[in-house]
Amino acid sequence: MQKNDQSILLRLFAETRFIPLVQNMVEQGSLAFGLEQAKTLRLTMAAEEIVSHLIETAAGVEINLSLSARRWCVVADFSFVANPSDLWAMNLVAKENVGAEKSLDHLGLMLASRMADGFSVRLEGKTVHLELRQDHAYPSIESQSIESGVFKGKLAILENPEPALIKEACALVVNTYPTYLTHQAFFTPGKVVDMVAEGDLSLVICMDEIGAIAGLISWRSPSEKSVSFSGPYVFAGNGDVAELLESHLLNYVSRTKAVSLFSDLATEDMTTQNYESLGHLDFMQADDQSMELGVWFRHLREDMGGAVWTHPSVREFLEKAYDRLVLMRTVRDVESAGESLPENSVFSARLRPELREVILTPMVVGANVDESVKRHVDCLIKDGYQNIFFNLDLAYGWQASMGGVLLDSGFVPKILLPHGGTSDVVVFQHV
Amino acid sequence: MSSLDFQQLVPAYIQSFEAYYPSLPDQDLMVTYGVDHLHRLNNNENALGPPPEVAEIVDAFPPKAVPVYPNGDCHYLRQKLADRFNKNAKQFLVGNGSCEVIGSVIKAFCEEGDNIITADKTFAVYEWVAEFSGFEARLIPLKDLGFDHRAMLDAMDERTKVLFVCNPNNPTGTYWDKETMDEFLDEVGNRAIVVIDEAYFEYVDKDDYPDGMELMERYPNVIVFRTFSKMYALAALRIGYLCGADDVVDLVRRTHIVYSVNTLAQSAAVAALSNDRPFIEATRAMVCDAKKLILATCDSLGLEYICGEGNYLMVKVPMSDTLMYRKLMKKGVMVRTMTGFRFPNWIRVSLVQQPVMEIFCQALTEVIEGR
Repeated sequence: MQKNDQSILLRLFAETRFIPLVQNMVEQGSLAFGLEQAKTLRLTMAAEEIVSHLIETAAGVEINLSLSARRWCVVADFSFVANPSDLWAMNLVAKENVGAEKSLDHLGLMLASRMADGFSVRLEGKTVHLELRQDHAYPSIESQSIESGVFKGKLAILENPEPALIKEACALVVNTYPTYLTHQAFFTPGKVVDMVAEGDLSLVICMDEIGAIAGLISWRSPSEKSVSFSGPYVFAGNGDVAELLESHLLNYVSRTKAVSLFSDLATEDMTTQNYESLGHLDFMQADDQSMELGVWFRHLREDMGGAVWTHPSVREFLEKAYDRLVLMRTVRDVESAGESLPENSVFSARLRPELREVILTPMVVGANVDESVKRHVDCLIKDGYQNIFFNLDLAYGWQASMGGVLLDSGFVPKILLPHGGTSDVVVFQHV
Repeated sequence: MSSLDFQQLVPAYIQSFEAYYPSLPDQDLMVTYGVDHLHRLNNNENALGPPPEVAEIVDAFPPKAVPVYPNGDCHYLRQKLADRFNKNAKQFLVGNGSCEVIGSVIKAFCEEGDNIITADKTFAVYEWVAEFSGFEARLIPLKDLGFDHRAMLDAMDERTKVLFVCNPNNPTGTYWDKETMDEFLDEVGNRAIVVIDEAYFEYVDKDDYPDGMELMERYPNVIVFRTFSKMYALAALRIGYLCGADDVVDLVRRTHIVYSVNTLAQSAAVAALSNDRPFIEATRAMVCDAKKLILATCDSLGLEYICGEGNYLMVKVPMSDTLMYRKLMKKGVMVRTMTGFRFPNWIRVSLVQQPVMEIFCQALTEVIEGR
């Protein structure tokens, strides 16, 4: 009988003799999952880097390695229970103090991240997850100039478009919209078909009476409490298309667990009165051209107010944002009062190499936080990352207390995401 | 004790169900929004109430009655209702609000694999109770803001057990006239139970509006819901009821919780029915005046609205309804956001006394004009 979950599991210890075992499992498993040879090789090398890193920094720790396939990618997840004093090693740019003011760099995770299409470090309770993602190789499409279409008859929303329609719609987006407003996956329509089939991306298409595609909107759920959309992409007609697409999305999310709706990539066709502007982020594109990306928000519930923490130096930014958004918050100051802190800071990281983007969030704020921030930034910039963000969840005083360090390290608070995490989240951008 | 993975104990339909979290208490909201008053225009309450006969009962309620259980099945109230509607007391079941009787009906008729049918933009509790009980809720899009009787009939199959018709519909205020209702009931036949929710019955003053109490004499599969929360202004006491044919109600009684309606609520409901005509007339006049004022304001601001039967209307605002909610709350006015009803950017406003309606219109105008 066919099982839904065909993950391959391996339990091992962080010891050198097991490296070939990991290599073989990742390589053979990835090939069995249909990952292409070159992609498999890179994922295998990345996995080897991770195990080597763990052998260096957490020798002997028990590791659970899971290799799983989604239609569009293969994911290798290394999980282990970390001793709090060993968490420092989970930094992308870990550095070990070896006495007499000497230190040793451990860049295994950084090396691994270079070989994967996606990489993340996260902490769930006491368990650390190091996750590598390698996408299948899909044929990509390039933008071609087309004439704007005209729709005929009544418009309707198609909720579950067939693959051929999805691919056609992706091509229309690529041909109609600038690259910076195009969902990255749309350049590989086959990947979109697989992501939709897997439930990792949702989209609906607006069709006219004779079956021509008039528009598209896509969305994903970055967390249980939030939904992020790209679009609406309109290929023909007027504001009716955008309104139909957005109404469908709003009606869909209105009775889900989502509390907030955010824009990932908001096009000019978006009906601005449906949302509240949160400001903009400055993105450096692959061609080194900078562009501003507006970020929009819609609260899906009646706001009951709440309390958040802030470092005093971020208070002014927050108060202005809350006042503009008419969000009732009690803002409480938090900063170091000389209490003892763990020696090392630990940041989780989510890397998107194709966008040269990294999002850091704190897992532990230690005594070396300022030095740790600087090391991360220096190393990431050296590695070509030009869009570096640091997110702080204001539900936690220990996270909010980092605000001052970030300001001193070249970050500026850019966006407040209401209910973007456990509470509101401030997005800092390195400038 | 070893840790237990509670998720393993929970049915999939509960795991995927999103709990409803009501608003915070008014006092807390006032502190949050920094206001010293809050006009409640969010729950379609009758601000004129309760009727004087009810006020006397509430004022005179003796503390010595508190330790004593209420009558388990609202004996005197059911008798009073039977007298009022020329039926027998066995035809009535009283619940802790009509939400409770929704659950009783669904539990009585549905089993695994069954479905209920209602509209997509209506009182959400029919859908919720079905879904968290493990039954499919088939939601039929409104047609011209009203229930689409043809589409509801088309959606029926052999596993359809209950059709819920909110008449008039909350929140659009539309209703099926006698002809439409007869046509629908004729076609349903005895294939399923039809619940006609008449929570706002007393607000409707139209000749072509069908009376469920009469319909059930011709259609034994009809169950009527009514409430004391809306017209009779007993919302805080939580009391509503259903009425149907003897044998149908006998089935529902098997799943219905007894002793759930408190003594004060039972007595107040009896009193509310004792001389309700003047109170109903006064309330209808209040609602009529309120409608005129709000519609004039909407017209002057160029705002679209939906205004039908009931003590509420809906206004489309040029921003997200949740932002409008926050802005109005800062001015001491609480309305209902309608995104959850699948009417994004609409707010629903309860129709109450003139001075409060004037405050609402002023606040709405200031928000629209950016003041």
